[in-house]
Amino acid sequence: MIDDLGEAATSEPIPIQNINEAVLRKVIEWCTYHKGDPPATNDDDNDVRKKTTDIDEWDQKFMQVDQEMLFEIILAANYLDIKALLDVGCKTVANMIKGKSPEEIRKTFNIQNDFTPEEEDQIRRENEWAEDR
Amino acid sequence: MSGFKRAPVAGGRAPRKDPLASLKMASMMDTKPVLPAEIIARIVDYLAVPDLIRFAQVSQRMREMVYDDTRWVQRLRRMGCWNEVEARKRAESLRGVAHNVTTPTAKRKSRNPSIAVNGSDRPPPSPKLLDTLQPTVNGTPQTGQMTPFKNVSSVSDGFDPAPVMSSSTSKPVAAVGEHPNLSVLQHVRSVRGHARQEYGKVFRVLAPYYNDAVSSEHPMRCMVFTSHSSPEDQAYILTQLQRFAKSDLSPGAYARSERLTEVVSIFDTAALLEFRKGYEEGDIDGKMREFAHVLHTLNGGQSNVELYVHHNHLVLSKDKLGNPGDCIDYASGHGQVSLERTQHFFDRLQTAYSAEHAVIERVFPSPSVVVPKLLEHIGQVVLSPYLTSLFDEAHSRGMEVYLMTVSGTFAQTQNLLSELPKPECGYEEYKIVTSKVASNVFEPHLDLYLAEELAFFKHTSEAEVEQWDRALSEQAASTETFLMSNINRQADKKDFMSSFKKVVMMPVNILPSFPALSSSKSTAKALVNGENTNTQKHDSRSSTPAPGTNPVSSNPLRSVTPLPVEAPTTELAAKVALMTSKLENIRSLFSIEVALSLVHRAKASLERAAQFRPLDGAPGQAAKQQCSAIYVTLLQILGTRHVKAGFDKAVNHLGDYNPRQAGADTSSEPGQGVAPLTTFLELVNVGDLIQQMLDVFFESELIRLGIANRDDFLDPAVKEKKKFEQMLDERVAAGLGKGIDVLMDEVEYMCATTQQPSDYNPDPNNANLDIGPTPTAKKVIELVGTHTSMLHGSTDKTLLDVFSSEVGLRLFTTLTKHLKRQRISTTGALPLLSDLSAYASYISTLRNNDLNSYFTALREVGQLYLIEGGEAEEMAGIIADAERYRGVFTVEEVLEFAERRRDWLLVKGRVEGAMYGRGCVVM
Repeated sequence: MIDDLGEAATSEPIPIQNINEAVLRKVIEWCTYHKGDPPATNDDDNDVRKKTTDIDEWDQKFMQVDQEMLFEIILAANYLDIKALLDVGCKTVANMIKGKSPEEIRKTFNIQNDFTPEEEDQIRRENEWAEDR
Repeated sequence: MSGFKRAPVAGGRAPRKDPLASLKMASMMDTKPVLPAEIIARIVDYLAVPDLIRFAQVSQRMREMVYDDTRWVQRLRRMGCWNEVEARKRAESLRGVAHNVTTPTAKRKSRNPSIAVNGSDRPPPSPKLLDTLQPTVNGTPQTGQMTPFKNVSSVSDGFDPAPVMSSSTSKPVAAVGEHPNLSVLQHVRSVRGHARQEYGKVFRVLAPYYNDAVSSEHPMRCMVFTSHSSPEDQAYILTQLQRFAKSDLSPGAYARSERLTEVVSIFDTAALLEFRKGYEEGDIDGKMREFAHVLHTLNGGQSNVELYVHHNHLVLSKDKLGNPGDCIDYASGHGQVSLERTQHFFDRLQTAYSAEHAVIERVFPSPSVVVPKLLEHIGQVVLSPYLTSLFDEAHSRGMEVYLMTVSGTFAQTQNLLSELPKPECGYEEYKIVTSKVASNVFEPHLDLYLAEELAFFKHTSEAEVEQWDRALSEQAASTETFLMSNINRQADKKDFMSSFKKVVMMPVNILPSFPALSSSKSTAKALVNGENTNTQKHDSRSSTPAPGTNPVSSNPLRSVTPLPVEAPTTELAAKVALMTSKLENIRSLFSIEVALSLVHRAKASLERAAQFRPLDGAPGQAAKQQCSAIYVTLLQILGTRHVKAGFDKAVNHLGDYNPRQAGADTSSEPGQGVAPLTTFLELVNVGDLIQQMLDVFFESELIRLGIANRDDFLDPAVKEKKKFEQMLDERVAAGLGKGIDVLMDEVEYMCATTQQPSDYNPDPNNANLDIGPTPTAKKVIELVGTHTSMLHGSTDKTLLDVFSSEVGLRLFTTLTKHLKRQRISTTGALPLLSDLSAYASYISTLRNNDLNSYFTALREVGQLYLIEGGEAEEMAGIIADAERYRGVFTVEEVLEFAERRRDWLLVKGRVEGAMYGRGCVVM
């Protein structure tokens, strides 16, 4: 495929904005490790999806970076359209959210609370069923 | 920016710039990077439910993302609780009403998060309405694809029926009625915009069990088992948990579902153990029934059905049903297999099976699943080995025994399968299963059987023909008596054919009728012990063609026919006897009896083989082919070996016939025909009879059984039949050619030897005024008449026409020749004329116009001799009158006749003078 692009495509640099060097190195590290993976299946098979909800060991270690870096990686994966890496990133974030209170989540994601206390209360009431018992 | 091409899973409907801007604002204060909405949506996908709800409390936007209906619909769908059709119906009925009210702007507004629809002024609809809709859920429906809420009130009826989602396993609702937790998944409704609430209901019930099950240390001590005591309830909960687990997509879900599966399998094993214990203890209505239902609830009951089928009492105690060795009936001679005894086996099997079937009906929630499995298993483990060893045994004991056994047991199997108790529902499927069982059991034997059947038929038929041939050659030296029979052949044949048809239509009783086993014992034995009947048959066969014996006395032996059918067979036998006695003179060539017995054999084989026809697929096809192969073989053996040889012999006989040699014998017996020709003509009759027999056989068997199609000219059976008919026609035609020669030789010989010179030239002094044909003419007419009439109705009409016209023509030539050898006086003209008119009137019975004109012309010629010698003028006139002879004779030919006048020399001059003189005048 690269051959089809011709000399110019391979010889000229491709500008990648928005991604700094450290993040790109990280992404390349991940890609190098996973280059032998079987291509992702597109079907929404339940079992397959279920298996992929878990993060494998190497990826867990790989994602042990500070939150800023994690977000950068996710953004880079999104930008470079690396679906598997994006998924790993999202799962890692989901794991981070797990068990956190709304306030902690806000802090983590840097989101301002735009609810009134009543509203907040209402949501809680609406979803009482989901609370851990 | 390829990253943005990806469709966001949820929340994408929100205008993108808006939140980004607010996030960017936030990021200015903090240096942390922010994630775009679609990535957050992606993250949200991986959250467990409690985290999800907490996430919703973070901010307006997050709440909207979490509350998005599609997210919850997807979860419900994973559990198999979402019915898209139902949801669409509801939505459409809503939209139909909503359409008038909702303006596009209203819709857009409702979606815009910045507008305070989702804000503090919630809930916008009246709480009263919500209460009527879903009293249990206090949440408000979310904006989304959902139509604006205020319209719901007008169609609240649409929600009321709340049809229960039919889940894949049909659980009896009544059985779980006592605890709502047991059927929560069934009550999920597919309403767009309410998916979250519906999921909430499910979650509230199942999540505690789920969390407990996946986290408890000892699987058997988890909440599922502690809070419900009945195993059936536990099973219900577990099934629901398995479905519920499918909606869990947060990290670690795989491990959790593994864990759940483990719990289920432990439960499964325990239940199975109980089931087995119940079965062993014979506790049918107690433990067995209970745990069969439990397991059915849990996973469709595959495992216990397998267990039941494989550890079935019936199968385990199959030896009690009977031993193949028992079926060898030593009492009735060397190694006969008794179908009665196999029938006992089948009876026992049926009883045992009925008992099992009753158990199944009582124990299993869905007997229609279990029964076919049990049947198949029985077929495989019980029937198949039994029959295989039985067949092996039979095979080693002789071909016929084998054939009888295979077909007999097949019929018994069919019988058994049709008499087994049937499940109440799924009758059609049940039938398919039984036929599958039958074909599975018999398929391995079928090829061998069919091949053997054909070989056996071929072998015995050939043996029969050969034996007959041998008997014939032994007999050849002995004198042959020829009976001339003036019977009405057509009526006779019709009669014969009708009784033949009757017999052919009778089904061959492969089995004695089962209900009255004892009464039909003798027939059964006779049938099965083929050797018995065979020896008798041999006797009868060898004695029939035996020389010297009175043909009638030997015939009654034929009453032992291969068919066990009594009444029509004896009738047929009598008819055969009659025919044989009538056709005695041709028995040296081929025998209708042999043909008949061959047909019977073919029928028996065919019926046996045809049984297998209903089997599906290749075996049925093979059976069909074999059936038609049997028919083809029948035609070949009967045609080529038997009939053709007979015809050839007869034609040779005809060719060798020399009337002058035979004359000494035949003339002494007045009224007898030309022996070989008579034989031949009888032969044609019999050939025709055989052909009709085969035709009837073809119609009644092959067509009826659907083996061959009459119009399918490519069908081997039809082709062979055509060939046979063609062969027959050819032989007949060839024989008739020869026959005419012989007949005419005979006529000539007769004319030459019996016509007295004084017949047409009587002594004038001793004038015999006895008017009438001369004896010679009478004899000739009788001779020709009998032979031609023999053919009536026995062969093709056209062939017959050709034959009779040929005979007439040849007779005419012979008579002309004969006439030209005579010397005729005026007084002799009278007998001559009466002879000629006798010929003419005979010929007119043949209904052939050409021949009529020939013979009328000949009669006219006879008038020449009436004229007194003095009237030369008149004579010349008659001679020259070509009109008179209708172009049959020329003047010269008539003149030749005139020369035969006794006084020709006296009148010649004057007649010629008158003729030519007049001729000159004319000219």
